[in-house]
Amino acid sequence: MTTRRNFLRLVGSTAAGGVISQYGTEIARAFEQVAEGDMEVVWFQGQSCTGCTISTLQAQYPTLEEALNEFRLEVTFHPTIMPEAGEAAIESMSMSPDILIVEGSIPTDIPEAATIGGRTAEDWVTDLAPQSDIIVSVGNCAAFGGWPAAENKKRLYDLGENVTGAKGLQFEKRKKGGVLGADFTGGAGLPVVNLGGCPPNPDYVLLTLATVLNGHVPELDEYNRPLPFYEPLVHDNCMHRGYFDRGEFADKPGGEGCLLKQGCKGPYTHCDDQTRLWNDGTSVCLNVSAPCIGCMEPGFWDRFSPFQQEMEGSPVLGNVSATQAGAVGVAAAAAGIGAHLGRRAMGYGKFESAEKADAETKAAEEDTE
Amino acid sequence: MPEIDIDPTTRIEGHHGITLQVDADGTVTEAKSKMEMFRGAEIVTLGRPPSDAPQITGMVCGVCFLCHRFCSSKAAEDAAMNADNVDFGGPPANAVRLRDTVEGIFYLWNHAVHLFALVGPDYSDAVAGTGFDRLDPLEGDGYMAAMANQRKVMKALAEFGGRAPHPVAYVPGGLATRPDVSTIQAVKSRVQEVSNWLGATENVPQVIENVQNGEFDPALGEGLHDIVSIILAAAEAGAADIGQGPDRFYSNGMFEDPESGELFLKRGVYRNGSAEELTKQEIIDGITEDTEYSWYTDDSGGAPTEAKPPEPAPEKDQAYSWGKAPRFDGQSMEVGPLARMVITGLDPFDLRGTLGGGAAESNTLNRLIARAQEALVVRDQVMGWLDAIDPSEPFMADDWSDDFTGKGVGLMEASRGALSHYMDIENGEIERYQIITPTIWNLGPRDGSGQPSPLEEGVVGDVVSDVENPLTVLRTIRSMDPCLACSVHVQSPENASKTEVEPVTPSIGGGGCDI
Repeated sequence: MTTRRNFLRLVGSTAAGGVISQYGTEIARAFEQVAEGDMEVVWFQGQSCTGCTISTLQAQYPTLEEALNEFRLEVTFHPTIMPEAGEAAIESMSMSPDILIVEGSIPTDIPEAATIGGRTAEDWVTDLAPQSDIIVSVGNCAAFGGWPAAENKKRLYDLGENVTGAKGLQFEKRKKGGVLGADFTGGAGLPVVNLGGCPPNPDYVLLTLATVLNGHVPELDEYNRPLPFYEPLVHDNCMHRGYFDRGEFADKPGGEGCLLKQGCKGPYTHCDDQTRLWNDGTSVCLNVSAPCIGCMEPGFWDRFSPFQQEMEGSPVLGNVSATQAGAVGVAAAAAGIGAHLGRRAMGYGKFESAEKADAETKAAEEDTE
Repeated sequence: MPEIDIDPTTRIEGHHGITLQVDADGTVTEAKSKMEMFRGAEIVTLGRPPSDAPQITGMVCGVCFLCHRFCSSKAAEDAAMNADNVDFGGPPANAVRLRDTVEGIFYLWNHAVHLFALVGPDYSDAVAGTGFDRLDPLEGDGYMAAMANQRKVMKALAEFGGRAPHPVAYVPGGLATRPDVSTIQAVKSRVQEVSNWLGATENVPQVIENVQNGEFDPALGEGLHDIVSIILAAAEAGAADIGQGPDRFYSNGMFEDPESGELFLKRGVYRNGSAEELTKQEIIDGITEDTEYSWYTDDSGGAPTEAKPPEPAPEKDQAYSWGKAPRFDGQSMEVGPLARMVITGLDPFDLRGTLGGGAAESNTLNRLIARAQEALVVRDQVMGWLDAIDPSEPFMADDWSDDFTGKGVGLMEASRGALSHYMDIENGEIERYQIITPTIWNLGPRDGSGQPSPLEEGVVGDVVSDVENPLTVLRTIRSMDPCLACSVHVQSPENASKTEVEPVTPSIGGGGCDI
């Protein structure tokens, strides 16, 4: 238990993107340990864009090819990189993998909307998951439904709000359930581990795999995301935070100032990307003045769209406008309370309890009714 | 007559299968290219502000992510410029330059990943016994070096976009990001590093000689040796004689000089043996889509500037793909690097002329050669384009607003080929949206007159000497670098095949896939 926490805290509390390299040895050891035990992995794609695969290919410590090859993880199926095609590809797939990784959402109203080898993704996943020890949803689509579940606002052609009925494995947006049901657990006794993000940071994928391969039980938040990666608030670590506290807001994307009024969803979004950074410590969305779009969260897309508009009246931000928020921030800072307390006083921040998650589920259910 | 069903087609982006009719001699007599995923991008886009369209469509594909974001922004900007109720003057010259330059760097990324990771293994020692073990997937030194270098290109893209894939800095009106001199310098040094691995373009003749003699000189470019290995292995395997497409090509043109408006890669078509440069309007006017064999209602087809968003019709007789069949002047057209090279009139070192049976021949080998040629040609321009960016000038238009009524079209060349987005805006809300992707030009179904897509035409006549191992067909499919994620399609629910022969491709070590 202690080891697990230490390992997760270490890899989760990086001060800069490159820090992960310091723990490369431990990560490498995790993969080496499983090399002796014929661990089989299936990487399955539902309604996907392959962005999560491409993101994972950018991992550095270890690289994905090292994880797959040097550490001899047996990936019996990955449609983008495997040598086989056709029936041979299907035959090589383990039907009871140690780890099942799913990328992309699973269509349930039009199951034929994602097929492989003549079978629907829904059939594949509902067959594979109960036979798998550990199941990991990589990306917002596999975790929560992602963009295929984004709203059909015009209700065209008698199709539902969700065009193909796209769901995540164990969630549909913020609602528990998904394709496998709310109570599902894999062979190792864990629910589906959700790595939200469009796409998730590659470190999240390989570090989560390293954690479970080490035999540790990852500490999960209310949306089954590994807590260390998804606990920090983007807004807390934003390079433009000083502007927010002074109430200085940009008047267009890329303008000088806090991007809240340009639709930044940083105050509602949880991930450690602001400190971890992307592409081996190169940059992150807000560092190039692009407003956060909230891609790490369940309910992304529609919860945060229109993307360039400020989110008003949100249950997270309350009814405090950006200008008022800045003013409160300034007042709080002036009073010596500090930005952090100032923010808490306004009633937004991370979701703090399971009760709150259940309330979110309930609210989401009411939204759809 | 046996039927061969290959599903899934792996080492491409997304869900795809192909059904082949093969005669007694193993000659392919008919092919059906099946697209097997549907998400409804156009439908999801409706009812939202124009600025949301690049965000949504940009994430339609995680492999060719920049191009949709870029093309959708161009469509939104075009609609605003055509609108009566706003005075939008277009994105600043800096934004035009930078977005094009980033796409140029992206070409380098996509072509490298395609050549090494997707088609490369088909010509490796492990899969095809070619002796080129540097190309072996996840094991060969060449493959691994390419993976390391694609990472460096992605870092260069992240300098501008914040992250890659799915960067978020590119918006209608220009760019959110304001790169300074040091950021541009950082990008240049990353691109330079990858460029050094690739090797100088002028070394091509010497490297060809090296590879033919079994020599390897890293000073001339490690990447160049491996790419030449792929090309020579493909030539040896007879790739010039397979995958013959329609010998008609189409390109939207790419890399625009913001001052002169001149395109570095030309816009137009190639047909009846000659290239014709066309205007944007002539391109728009020439395109229609056909849904006879698509799982869409008949009235979902037509001109993309007028047609309604595609309406699913899964019960439709005869349909086998939810890809529509786009046509130019009623004709199928091949798109991609070969189309761009042919229309621009480029054949560096006369490689297609000498190895591929002619500079404008549409075949599997020439698609590979053109991709390699284009990677080098564009690489040689990128540094100059980066130098033309002025960090002191604006990157974002002051007068961009979502609140207008207008219609617009974005045309560009994604790395895989011609891409177009069509957007109608009414009172700040998207009323109609259409996307035509490179992959549906190349891999779509046949049309109402029975005319097949370039892939369906390309594999007909190919001889499958071993029905258990139709590697030639896979090589042809992959030569077109399909990207299915953005082609909004689904497979026929009724996948009836009479006689199914199970195809098998060689795998590493003969046993299971040990990767």
